[in-house]
Amino acid sequence: MTVLAVSGLSHAYAGIPVLRAVDLSVAAGEVVAVVGPSGAGKTTLFRCLTRLVRPDSGVLAVHGRDLMVLDGAALREARRDLGLVFQSYNLVRRLTALQNVLVGRLADVPTWRVVLRRFPAEEQRLAASCLQQVGLLGHAHTRADRLSGGQQQRVAIARALASRARVVLADEPVASLDPASAAAVLSALRSLATDHGKAVVCSLHQVELVAGFADRVVGLRDGRVVLDVPVREFDADAVRALYGPAGVAEPV
Amino acid sequence: MTPVQERAGTAPVAVPARPARSLRARASRSALALLGLVGFAACLRLADVDPVELVEGLPTIADWLAEAFPPDTSAFGTLLLRAAETVAIAVVGTVFAVLLALPLCVLAARTTTPSGWVRLPVRLFLNGLRGVDAFVFALLFVAAVGLGPFAGVLGIALHTWGSMGKLFAETIEALPPGPLEAAELTGAGRLKTSTFTLLPDVLPSASGIGLYLLEFNIRASTVLGVVGAGGIGQELKNAVDLLAFDRLATILLVILAMVTVVDQVSARLRKALA
Repeated sequence: MTVLAVSGLSHAYAGIPVLRAVDLSVAAGEVVAVVGPSGAGKTTLFRCLTRLVRPDSGVLAVHGRDLMVLDGAALREARRDLGLVFQSYNLVRRLTALQNVLVGRLADVPTWRVVLRRFPAEEQRLAASCLQQVGLLGHAHTRADRLSGGQQQRVAIARALASRARVVLADEPVASLDPASAAAVLSALRSLATDHGKAVVCSLHQVELVAGFADRVVGLRDGRVVLDVPVREFDADAVRALYGPAGVAEPV
Repeated sequence: MTPVQERAGTAPVAVPARPARSLRARASRSALALLGLVGFAACLRLADVDPVELVEGLPTIADWLAEAFPPDTSAFGTLLLRAAETVAIAVVGTVFAVLLALPLCVLAARTTTPSGWVRLPVRLFLNGLRGVDAFVFALLFVAAVGLGPFAGVLGIALHTWGSMGKLFAETIEALPPGPLEAAELTGAGRLKTSTFTLLPDVLPSASGIGLYLLEFNIRASTVLGVVGAGGIGQELKNAVDLLAFDRLATILLVILAMVTVVDQVSARLRKALA
């Protein structure tokens, strides 16, 4: 079932087109990797998908609702279908791992409980199970700024898991991580799709990480989708076609 | 090669000549300097600065200083009580200001305000409060609620509300926007996201600001009594009015001791918070 359906999405900054009629559809349980050279429009695409930036035109349907025509409270409500994982983790540094996961539950907890930090036991158990999924239950009460980068990113994934998001958007989630941490983060993202049926869209600049992680690969170049193939067809030729003959590392 | 170059392992390079300033730039600098001098001269005139008067007044000041010794400590107990009252005015006023400033700073910060139409009036309001000194507010409140420390508390609270709201808002604006953005995308409202994700990061700097303003307010409260708004300033004014300089000396020493202790305690607390 398609949960994210983007068509004809275009956006320009100061008259310079950054996205040109991008089409993208992602099904529940599917992982789509977005790759492409720097400046291809990956980050703009992610900011448009969350409506942090309002695209100039196109359709942006999340679970059947077009975010393009929504505003205010309706947009806020529709956005709950989206979970975000950022390159810079975006955890609250002085809250514990468990409290950061609970941020994903804020919308469903009464205000007085949030203000007093008295989350219902049921919510806390849910958050704990999300932490367990990413292998960090032992760090539940560790402050976020005491965790390593890879651990922080896994907390961010647990936060997305705790929210009721159906689509998880991860913009360069492993760009600043070492290979071992990157592998742990990608496997946590993979399990969001495989074990929890979420649709995952993840941009990567290391093409060698795509195999064994994504189901499908979408290549962006100059703001256009120039490639949309199952992962097994994303071979050395495809990489060369996307990045140019300068030759980038070949997929493993 | 010189020792420096040897260390750096590089060959010497001539420093490129700095581009010469244009005639116009030089002329405008001179004009600016002249303007500054003329302006300062005007200020001297307006402020009635007259060194002769100072010199003529010196013997009087010397007489007073002589009279001030030994300090009169007969009313020491009362003075301590008044000093405590001064601290109390500052503490209560500052705490009220914190409670008033917390909700407004979220509206005044660029990153958290619901809209510019809310932010602008809130900022104008805070600036207005900040622009009126606690002393002036106290003067008004003495007329409104009567003589005594409560007028001082209100004066301190209103003025500090403005300063604190502005400083808190600047603290919020300096925070990385990411965590709040992430929380808002969960669909939760502003009150929940700001109390849960903003507060923990704001709290350490906000407590530092609170302590700093408390320290400032204790110093400011020492003169509130001059307009009848309680505290040790009342004693200060009485002593000056009666030309009781020995008494005045004791009062000044008590103020000095109080301010020193407060500064030390506050500096330590702020260090512990950092």
